[in-house]
Amino acid sequence: MLTQYIFFSGKGGVGKTSMACTYVVRLAEEGKKTLIVTTDPASNLADMFEQTIGHQITPIQGVSNLWAMEIDPDKATQEYIDRAMAPIRTAFPPQIVQVMEEQMSGPCTAEVAAFDRFTDFLEVPAENETSFDVVIFDTAPTGHTIRLLELPSEWSHAIDAASQGNGQTCLGPAAAIQDAKHKYERALGAMRDSKQTTFNFVMNPEEISIKETRRAISELSKLGIQNFELIINGIIPPEGMQNVLFAARSTMQNRYLDQIEAELPYPKKRMVLLADEIKGVQRLRQVAKIFFDGDDSESNYMTGKDISHESIIATPLREVRARIQPNGNRRTLFFAGKGGVGKTVASCITAVWLARQGFKTLLLTTDPAAHLGDVLDNPVGDEIAPVSGQPNLWAVKIDPKAAAETYKTRILEDARKRGRPEKAIAAMEEELNSPCTEEMAAFDKFIEYASQKEWQSVVFDTAPTGHTLRLLELPVDWSKQIDVKIFASVDSSAADDVAKERFEKVIEMMRDPEQSTFAFVMYPEATPILEAWRAASELGTVGIHPRMVVANMVIPPQLANTSYTLSRHAMQVKYLREINERFGLPVVQIPLLPNEVKGLAMLAKLGDQIYEGDII
Amino acid sequence: MDKNQLKVTPGDNPSGFDGLPEIQIFDPPMCCSTGLCGPTIDQTLLDVGEMIAKLQSEGYKVERYQMSTHPNAFLVNPDVMKLIRENQMAALPITVIRGQILKKGSYPKFDEIHKIFDGEK
Repeated sequence: MLTQYIFFSGKGGVGKTSMACTYVVRLAEEGKKTLIVTTDPASNLADMFEQTIGHQITPIQGVSNLWAMEIDPDKATQEYIDRAMAPIRTAFPPQIVQVMEEQMSGPCTAEVAAFDRFTDFLEVPAENETSFDVVIFDTAPTGHTIRLLELPSEWSHAIDAASQGNGQTCLGPAAAIQDAKHKYERALGAMRDSKQTTFNFVMNPEEISIKETRRAISELSKLGIQNFELIINGIIPPEGMQNVLFAARSTMQNRYLDQIEAELPYPKKRMVLLADEIKGVQRLRQVAKIFFDGDDSESNYMTGKDISHESIIATPLREVRARIQPNGNRRTLFFAGKGGVGKTVASCITAVWLARQGFKTLLLTTDPAAHLGDVLDNPVGDEIAPVSGQPNLWAVKIDPKAAAETYKTRILEDARKRGRPEKAIAAMEEELNSPCTEEMAAFDKFIEYASQKEWQSVVFDTAPTGHTLRLLELPVDWSKQIDVKIFASVDSSAADDVAKERFEKVIEMMRDPEQSTFAFVMYPEATPILEAWRAASELGTVGIHPRMVVANMVIPPQLANTSYTLSRHAMQVKYLREINERFGLPVVQIPLLPNEVKGLAMLAKLGDQIYEGDII
Repeated sequence: MDKNQLKVTPGDNPSGFDGLPEIQIFDPPMCCSTGLCGPTIDQTLLDVGEMIAKLQSEGYKVERYQMSTHPNAFLVNPDVMKLIRENQMAALPITVIRGQILKKGSYPKFDEIHKIFDGEK
């Protein structure tokens, strides 16, 4: 049944945006007034429709009945601040207004604001606004989305508590707009109603994707959301199987397709892996025919005859190694990029390679939906532990929930030491259950590991792009916030100085190419490249510049020998060139493999191949 | 009409001044008043929270206002607004006992507040 609201969820890189766009193009063609909204800070809707969209409802050219909007977190934040500040601006002196505005630009406001803007679309429109038959949300990647969706129920609770007590509950920026509470409740109500809302999970027939989907569905079920559908994307079509590499991958896929049938009892649709990319309205119409009608008569492959393999500039590996190995000092490596492009695989290959070189290495993830343990085939917990079977390698996962618990315990112990009464401690404990604590605690952990001296190499498998940026920009924001923080006691101003110094050291470390290397991971395809490019530019504004690119799932030229694989290979060659031109950085290539990357032996072999292929 | 308006509930507090709580604290602008939010813990704010809890447990009615959530509590009090216009940030926080300003520029200690009520008995 078609519902008025459809959410597209799933790990980044599974084809969520392509599928959401395919849906909206078809719905609009059927005459339904359709709106597609993205809350992803690294959205690529504009790339899909090949036109500018931006932070307002924009008609899509060439498709009647279709509109789109990209919620810009910065603009949403500003709008939110303006709304909250309106009564204050007129009444209070400018110095006070300025302090308040600076405080509202803290890290939590952006999250609150993006969500606030997003819930507007779940409201019944006012008379002067356009109403849509269907609103499709191309949401941010799973882990982050879930945290976002969890928030309103916590806020509702916190806003209630605040109005009864001394207004002491720490909601920070959320409290500024109290009537939002009802809006969030209505939003969650709409999401829970199967007549109004469908959650479409886009997934690949792969182990990690299945795990991810199952986890996401279970978390959403706990929030009372129940109407789920699955789109299994990237299935290798019969024409792909003439190739040995793709035939092997297809065998792997079939195993996982059986597992999906057996374990995920929801309505399912399948979508094939196309030989070329999905981009532009015309192509989306063809894709809709393939997806909804099973009609692929309009597919045509490039011949791939004109590809010159030599045109892919291979980076001398010596240069790559120099950017990865520690040079006397400790070196921290950050693997950034869109969710699902292979950051975890790249981090694991690199960490194992460094450990095998004899460097004492720590591998860690800040992604709440991390699957580090799956790739290492070794359990990874929230305490640093050696990876069994690989000397010199330790691993840890920053689990925001676990980190929040540790953080809470530490603060409460400190309060007991200071002799605060049990009643006050109980109140503090209640307070620390607020939504911001997890983020703060995860950040605190990040700083702790980023400051440890005992490692020669630290490898960060970071969270997806938008989230990563926020995490990395936090030290900058927070040290600024300490600057504006007023009348701290002598005691806490000393603590502030310590904290500030710690943040500044981390920022300095991240900026120094002798100490840090930022590597962007991407597939050689249009949207991952653009997203990485935007993310890199944004990092540039805080003085952090990428020094390496990892191109993942590159089809080895010698295996591109059927029209289907040649067509995909031709597409990749085009984009590998674009990576070279755009970034002008050393590029490491991870080949497309017949199987998923799993286990230390496979990681070691891949490390040798991609970092030492010139020596062996 | 501003939706964030302070809810004054006369009758709740017969001993109060003009239906307002006996003790009012006007906070300076801050992310949150608990002292638990932000990069470091603010012990001063934790002390204030503790003091308020203690006063409340003794039966006093205490309210605490932030400009972002209760702008009208500030706006309806001409004495408070005058101090803020004259001294800006330096005026805050302001503590008001039964309509009279007790302290500006820093939070009072428990004893400073208690003394006033003790003196009345």
